[in-house]
Formats: sequence, C-alpha cells, structure tokens
Amino acid sequence: MISEQARRSMEQIFINAAKTNLVLAPSDVCEVAPLVPGRAQGNREKNLLLLTISAFPFRLLTILQAGEHPLTREYYLKGKPGRAFGEVFAEVGNLCCGSMNRELTRHFPHLGMSVPYFLDSRCMPFLDELQPEYLSSCAISINGSARLQATLCVCAYAPVDFAVDAQAREETTGELELF
Amino acid sequence: MANWLNDVALGDLPLTGIACACLILWHVWTVVRLRSRFKSQLGAAQDVNVRLSDELEQSEAAYDDVAWALAQSEAEIAELAALVDRLKEGIARLEQLAAYERAEAPTIRADRQPELLRHAGQMADDVAGLKGVAMVFERWHDEMSSLMVQNRDMHAKNDELASIVNQVAMLALNAAIEAARAGAAGRGFTVVATEVRALARRCEALARDYSVSLHKNDMTTTATFQDIQAGGKMMMAAISGLELMATQLRAKLD
Repeated sequence: MISEQARRSMEQIFINAAKTNLVLAPSDVCEVAPLVPGRAQGNREKNLLLLTISAFPFRLLTILQAGEHPLTREYYLKGKPGRAFGEVFAEVGNLCCGSMNRELTRHFPHLGMSVPYFLDSRCMPFLDELQPEYLSSCAISINGSARLQATLCVCAYAPVDFAVDAQAREETTGELELF
Repeated sequence: MANWLNDVALGDLPLTGIACACLILWHVWTVVRLRSRFKSQLGAAQDVNVRLSDELEQSEAAYDDVAWALAQSEAEIAELAALVDRLKEGIARLEQLAAYERAEAPTIRADRQPELLRHAGQMADDVAGLKGVAMVFERWHDEMSSLMVQNRDMHAKNDELASIVNQVAMLALNAAIEAARAGAAGRGFTVVATEVRALARRCEALARDYSVSLHKNDMTTTATFQDIQAGGKMMMAAISGLELMATQLRAKLD
C-alpha cells in the first residue's frame, strides 16, 4: 500500500530532518548510512526513543537509539551541565520528528505527533508485532564521533503515495516542538 | 593410634568394643548432623518456593490488570471511531453548506437568509461542542500512562522473580552436593534436590518467557499509546479548522 516513491520520500524527509535537527550546531557534519532494519544494538538500557506521527492512512514511528559510546553523550551534553542525557536526547529527537511532521503536512493535511517515550532496546525485535509495511534503518554519525541509529517504521491502513521534491529543501532552523 | 592397635593386638577385647561403639556413635552423629543440614536447606528451599509462588501470583494478577486495561483501550478505540464518524458527518454538512454558498449564495433570496444563518449557527455550535473530545483524549492519556506504570512494575517483579529462581537453583545445587557427600544416607535428599533443580529450571524458562512477553507488550502498548496521542492532536487540529470555517461562514451570512 506504500508506493516506492512514498518510501523514498519518507526516507528523504527523515534524512533532511536528521541533518538539520540532530546536530547541535549548523557547522556540525551529520552523515547518514543505511543499515539492515531491526539491528539496533546495545542492551539492557532504556535507550530507544520512540516518536509517532499519525495520519488517517498511516502511522510513522521514528525510533532513535543513542549508542553507548561516551562520545555521543559528550556531544549532546556539551555546554549543558547538570542535565540528563535522556532529557536532552528526547528534545533533539522531538525537534527532528517535528521537522518531519511539518514536511509531511504539505502532503497530508491532517497529521498529529506524539510525545517522545523511551523503551528498553530489547523491545526492538517486536516492531514486527505492529505489522509494518515498511522498515528502514540507518546509522548516523555526527562529526565522526557521536553515533546514533534510526529506524523508520510505517504501518499503512490505506494506499499511501506522495513524492517530495527531488531537491527537497533542507530546513535551516528548527522550531520548538512543545511536549 | 599405633598404641591402640597394639592394645587390640594384645587382645584387649573390652577396649575394642568401646572403640567400635564410639565409631558407630560418630557415624550416627554424622547422619543426624547431615539430616539437620538437609532439613535447614530444604526449609530454605521451601521458603524460596513460597516466595516464588507469591511472586508468580502477583505477576499473574498484574498481567490480568494489563489485559483488562488493554480491553478498556479497545473499547475506547471504538469510542474514538464513533467520534470520527461524528466528525465526518460534521465535515460533510459543512462541505454541503460551503458548496451551496459557492454555487447559490449570490442568488440567495432574502427570505432564506435567516434559515441559512440558523443552520450555520448550529454548525458552529456543533463543531465547538466537538472540541470537548479533548477531555476524552486527556482521559485516555491518563489511563495509558497508568498502563505504562503497570508495565514497569511488572518488569521489576519479573526481575525479582528471576533473581529468586537463581537462588533456588543455587540452593538445589548445594543440596545435591551435600547429598552426594553423604553417600547412601543422602540418597533421598538427592532425589529432592534434583526435583527442586528441575523446578528452578522450569521457573527460569517461565521468567524468560515472561520477560519476552513484557517487552513485546511494551512495544505494542507504547505504539498504541502514541498513535492515540498523535491521533488526538490530529483530530483537535481538524476540529479547530472546522470551527474556524463554520465561524467564517456564519459571519458571511450574517
């Protein structure tokens, strides 16, 4: 039910949102490389950040996983003494998903977004329980040090077909998402 | 020792009898001591089993709670579907009015103006009333939050259960070693220890399965929770848009 161009478009929307919102400074370099879906690593920690965008014909779950590498924590906590990593990471993830939500609104006027929620990484194999029609994972590296993994999981309930512009514009500013 | 043997060799039979009696007494005392150790280990294993049963009962009760809450969620999803139907009806009526306004508004006779105004007013009121759905979303949000808290509680209980099962396995292993050291006297205890170990293995498998079920439950519950939350925001935005349209329509007819 999800056309090929809709799949590519969702990926593109995510990549644009990630490159703009998962970095703390515009000059930071964010690289995104594809991964085999469902291969999230790490272990008994509550480090899966889950966010959902719902529309009538589909729901899109964005799952971000912070690696356990200390450089990732260091990157996100830089200049934020006394703040918990989970809190900062949830804010960053929320901005990224909010950016996707705004871009999707151009194609689907009725959309809503959930608040972020953390899950144990051992829940990851059970994404299949949601009977997704489309799964896509990627590894994200920021400045070659901070490392994340992201998975897009789309469950469709009606045909989904849309296309973003080939040169989808990359946002330069992130608006504050309230949650 | 050598002197004692010499004494025996000299035929000191009464002394040999006393020595034999001492040996028998020492064996009897050893058996009594082992029995007492086994009893205390068995008692400890029984205590652990009782705790295990309690934990299992509590976990089952918590699982029932989650099943009940999920059934509630299903009923509420049906309620949401009914609300969506009402919303669709409202949208259809609004679209009809808008189409009528586009096609015939320039030629509306003055005598039909009050009727249309009344319809537009009713529409605006209906749509404003639909905003009350926000209260339903709040209610669902609270219930789903309590469901997530219960899930966390069940994880904690299951971890405790797994820890108890580990203790039982260790106790059963110790009992088996002690029983083996006791030889023939410990044969009965070997059987008991083996049974307890088998039970511990079954409990371990059960706790593992339970943990898998809980993680599966976490994923489906969270995804459903977020879908309801996001769907609620989507509907509120749609209702606000409709309310604005209805108000604008009424203002035009006024």
